[in-house]
Amino acid sequence: MDRRDFFKISALTGATAALDSCGKPERQLIRFIPEEDLVPGVATWKPSICTLCPAGCGLIVKVMEGEAEVVRNGKLGLMPMGLAKKLEGNPNHPVNQGKLCPRGQAGLQLTYHPDRIKTPLKRSGERGSGEFQEIGWDEAIKELAAQLSALQSSQESASLAFLTSPLRGQRRELVERFLAASGAPRPTEWAFLDDAVLRRANQLSFGRPQLPTFDLAHANYVISFGADFLGTWNSPVAQSIAYGEMRQGRSGRRAKFVMVEPRVSLTGANADEWISARPGTEGVLALGVAHVIIGEKLRPASGAGGPAALIEGWPQGLPDFSPDLVEKRTGVPAATITRIAREMAGHEPAIAMIAGAPLAETNGLWSAMAVNALNALLGSVGQPGGVLFTPDSAAAPPKPSQASREGLPQPLQALAQQALSGRPNPVKALLVHDANPVFASPPAWRIREAIENVPFVASLGSFLDETSILADLILPDHSPLESWLDDVPESGTMQLAASVAPPAMLPLHSTRAMPDVLLDIARQLGGPLSAALPWKSFDEMLHAGFVDLGERLGTTNAKGADDFWKKVQAQGGFWATETKLAAPKDPNSVGRAKAVAPSDPQFQGDEQGYPFYFLPYASQMLYDGSLAHLPWMQETPDPLSTAMWGTWVEINPKTAARLGIRQGDLLEVASQHGKLRAPALIYPGIAPDVIAMPIGQGHESFTRYASTRGANPISILAPLTEPETGSLAWAATRVKISRVGEGKLTLFGGGLSRFPHEIETR
Amino acid sequence: MNKTPEQMNEDLLRPVFHTTWRFWATVGVLLSVIAAAGLALSYQVWNGIGVWGIDRPAFWAFDITNFVFWIGISHAGTLISAILRLANATWRRPVTRCAEVITLWALMIGGMFPIIHLGRPWLFFWLAPYPNERGIWPQFRSPLMWDFFAISTYITGSAIFLLYPIIPDWALVRDKSSGWRKKFYTVVSLGWRGTPKQWNRLEMAMKIMAVVIIPVAVSVHSIVSWDFAMAPVPMWHSTIFAPYFVCGAIFSGIAALIIAMAIIRKALGLEDYMKRLHFENLGKLLLVMSLLWFYFIVSERLTTWYGNEPSEMAVFWSTQIGSFSPLFWTMVCCNFLIPVPLLAIKKLRTITGTVIASSTIIVGMWLERFLIIVPSETHKYLPYAYGSYRPTWVEITITAGTFAAMMLLYVLFAKFVPIISIWELKLGERKPVVSPQLSVVASDLPALAEPTGLATDS
Amino acid sequence: MTVDLDRCTGCEACVVACRAENNVPTAGPDQAARQRAIHWIRVERYWEGEFPNARLRFQPVLCQQCDAAPCEAVCPTYASYQNPEGLNAQIYNRCVGTRYCANACPYTVRFFNFYNPVWDKPFHLQLNPDVSVRSVGIMEKCTFCIQRIKAAEIQAEAAQRELKDGEFNPACVQSCPTKAMVFGNLNDPESEVSRLSQSTRGSKLLEEVGARPKITYLARESAPEEGGATS
Repeated sequence: MDRRDFFKISALTGATAALDSCGKPERQLIRFIPEEDLVPGVATWKPSICTLCPAGCGLIVKVMEGEAEVVRNGKLGLMPMGLAKKLEGNPNHPVNQGKLCPRGQAGLQLTYHPDRIKTPLKRSGERGSGEFQEIGWDEAIKELAAQLSALQSSQESASLAFLTSPLRGQRRELVERFLAASGAPRPTEWAFLDDAVLRRANQLSFGRPQLPTFDLAHANYVISFGADFLGTWNSPVAQSIAYGEMRQGRSGRRAKFVMVEPRVSLTGANADEWISARPGTEGVLALGVAHVIIGEKLRPASGAGGPAALIEGWPQGLPDFSPDLVEKRTGVPAATITRIAREMAGHEPAIAMIAGAPLAETNGLWSAMAVNALNALLGSVGQPGGVLFTPDSAAAPPKPSQASREGLPQPLQALAQQALSGRPNPVKALLVHDANPVFASPPAWRIREAIENVPFVASLGSFLDETSILADLILPDHSPLESWLDDVPESGTMQLAASVAPPAMLPLHSTRAMPDVLLDIARQLGGPLSAALPWKSFDEMLHAGFVDLGERLGTTNAKGADDFWKKVQAQGGFWATETKLAAPKDPNSVGRAKAVAPSDPQFQGDEQGYPFYFLPYASQMLYDGSLAHLPWMQETPDPLSTAMWGTWVEINPKTAARLGIRQGDLLEVASQHGKLRAPALIYPGIAPDVIAMPIGQGHESFTRYASTRGANPISILAPLTEPETGSLAWAATRVKISRVGEGKLTLFGGGLSRFPHEIETR
Repeated sequence: MNKTPEQMNEDLLRPVFHTTWRFWATVGVLLSVIAAAGLALSYQVWNGIGVWGIDRPAFWAFDITNFVFWIGISHAGTLISAILRLANATWRRPVTRCAEVITLWALMIGGMFPIIHLGRPWLFFWLAPYPNERGIWPQFRSPLMWDFFAISTYITGSAIFLLYPIIPDWALVRDKSSGWRKKFYTVVSLGWRGTPKQWNRLEMAMKIMAVVIIPVAVSVHSIVSWDFAMAPVPMWHSTIFAPYFVCGAIFSGIAALIIAMAIIRKALGLEDYMKRLHFENLGKLLLVMSLLWFYFIVSERLTTWYGNEPSEMAVFWSTQIGSFSPLFWTMVCCNFLIPVPLLAIKKLRTITGTVIASSTIIVGMWLERFLIIVPSETHKYLPYAYGSYRPTWVEITITAGTFAAMMLLYVLFAKFVPIISIWELKLGERKPVVSPQLSVVASDLPALAEPTGLATDS
Repeated sequence: MTVDLDRCTGCEACVVACRAENNVPTAGPDQAARQRAIHWIRVERYWEGEFPNARLRFQPVLCQQCDAAPCEAVCPTYASYQNPEGLNAQIYNRCVGTRYCANACPYTVRFFNFYNPVWDKPFHLQLNPDVSVRSVGIMEKCTFCIQRIKAAEIQAEAAQRELKDGEFNPACVQSCPTKAMVFGNLNDPESEVSRLSQSTRGSKLLEEVGARPKITYLARESAPEEGGATS
């Protein structure tokens, strides 16, 4: 048996064993992995895909023989099986090239988590009480099928809602087909950090509703407006690899990197120059730079083309953005603006990027377009060392983003409104997959109430988080390592890429992969559903999809289809060998020619009563809170604060001294929408009028490691949105703070500076 | 001294023969404290040393503080006694045994800490060089190995130094007792008959021991100091440490001796034997040591400050004005500011005065050990790795237990051994009297030609 | 090993990679609060200056595998010793837990098991069978992933060939996204690590202590006052 056969067999065992064995005793088998492929003590490496953030990095999984206590067919037994021991980056994957971030490294713990939901559950107590009874898969599937078929027979299929984290690739295809064939609306995708504003801006400026890829490795000047591109934003591993090259990869050439943000982030800590601009004025600063470049004739204003046409006043040389005026609005000295403009123009290729808090303001879209225009002015778009876009994958061309539905509220908010009001039609059944909006949405959206208002809620999650605990029925998903996975990276590479991976190990518990559950339901319901989803299992669908891809790309013909399928499984996906620069499309194709007037950012809370800007930020370890249940992530010190197992409030030392606040004091942070308590962390790199907090802690229910730990900054956010995309403006809240006692702060690191006795004497 | 030998026998043997309720009460109280410490220790061994407050980077704290402190206390006895013997300071006679026994018990208690502070104390014997199936010898470059040899040498030497002069007194008890005591003391007095040959050998042995024990004692505390000084840790890695530690050890040892003498004097009614003179003389010695200690700490701190080496300065400031400063300045008060006036001004150098001074010194010297160990550990070179330390009830109980154990052993010793060396005292009286009760012993005394012998109650 | 501080972004991928590879126990919130968390490698961060000129510098610190290691001489049981390849090895079975080595280490990179480590089931299934789990009362530290070194050596020997430079890496090096860390044989003058350790940007951590560490840190550069990229 060779490696390929092995994949085939493990594919069969992994995905179909659980599926096919239900209910038919003669088919109940505990399948063993063939012995010759698992020599005790010798590791086998299997490809997989990291699903913890949207970057879509490729993995290789170290699998070694071990004995696990597993339940099979209702019996607990010890089973020799391949166990995943370590994750590494897939060296052949075009996005992460063998490297991996800390979150990806901890992905292992998802599989072995002691508080995973191990079997289907049916609610037995009050909603939200957390009381469930274990049921079998047959019963669970029957129950779900009955609910959906009831909706179908009463012509209420439109009352079915599917709430999920953003999906890509064949997984998305499957869900879309399932819902379309059911007559239900398209899935409601929700992620707190969703970048909808940037996709919309890129669609308007460049005709591509897609996150950009930066060719940092060849750039000579980089300015980032709030984009934490080395930590949590976009494709951090790909960007970090390129960053390393940009710093020391070219003999004698080292790019300058300037960061603009009100609080030193992980990325800002690596900048050569760090500039604090007033929150929400980043776009103004970008245009200030553009003003100087145009004014000093370093680049012709007309050279910026379409993206610039969207900026009011561009043809006139941006008269409202002279350095002096920009200084007044941003707080950045005019001399600095002029200097940066000259430096940028003098060191091409130069990149400007914007993401994070600047786009989570009410004027975020305008700011993003301003930065796009600056890039266009510098001639960086579509050029080596500049701003690029990953080629459209033929495997799954990106669907038009829902966020582009102009003027409509954010889909999640819309769903909540629908569930609460019953208009235009009530939400009768809700399927939740891998999304936790109860935790990660502002209280004013009333997501919890909305879900409680839905008569039937089923969760396809792996953990009892704040959303799953409200479910009536839980059909637990496999962990990613136990699942067939596929992905189409949106950014991070210039190679056409479509990842696919068979399960790296057998399931530990009585769980079933979400796509297989949907296929099962479709088969049970029959009719248009089973016609739309003819596959027996998800791997069949992937097989078909990839063979199709191979044929369309001309990489293979019908004869070589099986070989192609084996090959992509073995290497973890398909990627074009050559890189190509995807030229931006003509923005006029978007059909918007009208220039946008700048708008000032709106904040909720007046300056008198709420004197501080409130800046939540994605945690390097816990991301948006979806990783708070992993003990490795909880115990790894945050790189900047060194805090573990908790949350904290960052405050400028001078502000703290003025308010009599010391390190570790318990603070109450109050907005107009709520308040929370967390210990103070004296943070030298934050503006005096800004209070920052990491997102991630403050879960009410999320396993033994995260429950009731710390505070959730999302719970006090104002429900302001960016008007065009409806995207939540999560950086538009103002707060007040007060000291309420002694807090508990667990820090791994001691002294703040290298020579502590010169600064602090404790 | 106006006591006759009979009176001396009566006074000094009374505690051996008579047991009061106070004895039982004391033993009971002390035993309960020791039992509590024993429970704490069992709890620690069972659960792991995590029940202590030690952490990273304060890997050592109360454990090694107690170790250094008790080894320091042990310098009271043998060293002082040997010096006084060699110097023929005759006022020493009622003091020496009191002092020597402190040494033995303090060594036993202090020597226990390197074992119980281990992460895996049940494997303590791996520290000893013994032939084993693994064919592994200990690392002789490790100061902990040196400790092992130094302490075991010192404890053996001190035991001999203590036991030799007890033999004639045990013979005395044997001669004056009956029943089980007779049997017991017959065995322990090792056939002492008081023959000239025996007296000669005893005297010879004591002279040799007095000479030998001094370098041993000095080396023990030097080696203890090298546990720290040999490690490249800020403020540990210092050439001054060996003499500084020896000085501190003698300092705390004398203080312990004064306290022990005061308690014994009151508890056993020995006011006629331990007089103000003894306390005054020891007080003067204590004053010298206090000044010497202050000299050492000033030179240590001053050179550090002038050196201005960043990592050392971090330790320096943490003790002078930082989180350890309350302890540091308490220590300076306890070791210098309070004792010096009490000991320097003749009017204050009373028994009460010296006891007060000694008590503060005991506290101060314990703090000194702590302040040598913990601030350095928590402020090593990389500021990121700075830490702090807070003890738990377990190590506090064990520490209390060591003090209780010290007292209990002392009480028991005084129960079985005349706490003042009777024959030496008599020798000092220069009253070679042949008494019927002491015929064997006393008859040979003149042969010993003690050259001087000032009356102690002049 | 060399660590290029100009590449290091402080992301801590190395920290988690090490934890996963080496069965480093999770202390949990209570023990972590008592300063007992174990991280064989850590990324130190140091602040300089005040807002708006506050700057941050990162510095990954792991066992420096010193030639004249202070931890080795002080261990009475030879648990801490220098192996023939020049690594500071820790023999867990021989350790009795004096913690002297941890005090002597100038870099504070040695960690102690204050309790028996616990893995909530089934987290124990993740444990790497190539690395022993440490019990209560013993010290542990970075080994430069000696299990990977040995595995690669055995494979090379079986194939009767020399080990190639970069053929294998410790977990931290393998994970590092910016390739800030480079691992190799310092005795081989042709290896990349030998070349990098000769860099003019290179220095050793706490060189003045005299432990002769084997890791070379390459200094972070700064952009010129006026102007962009250096060219």
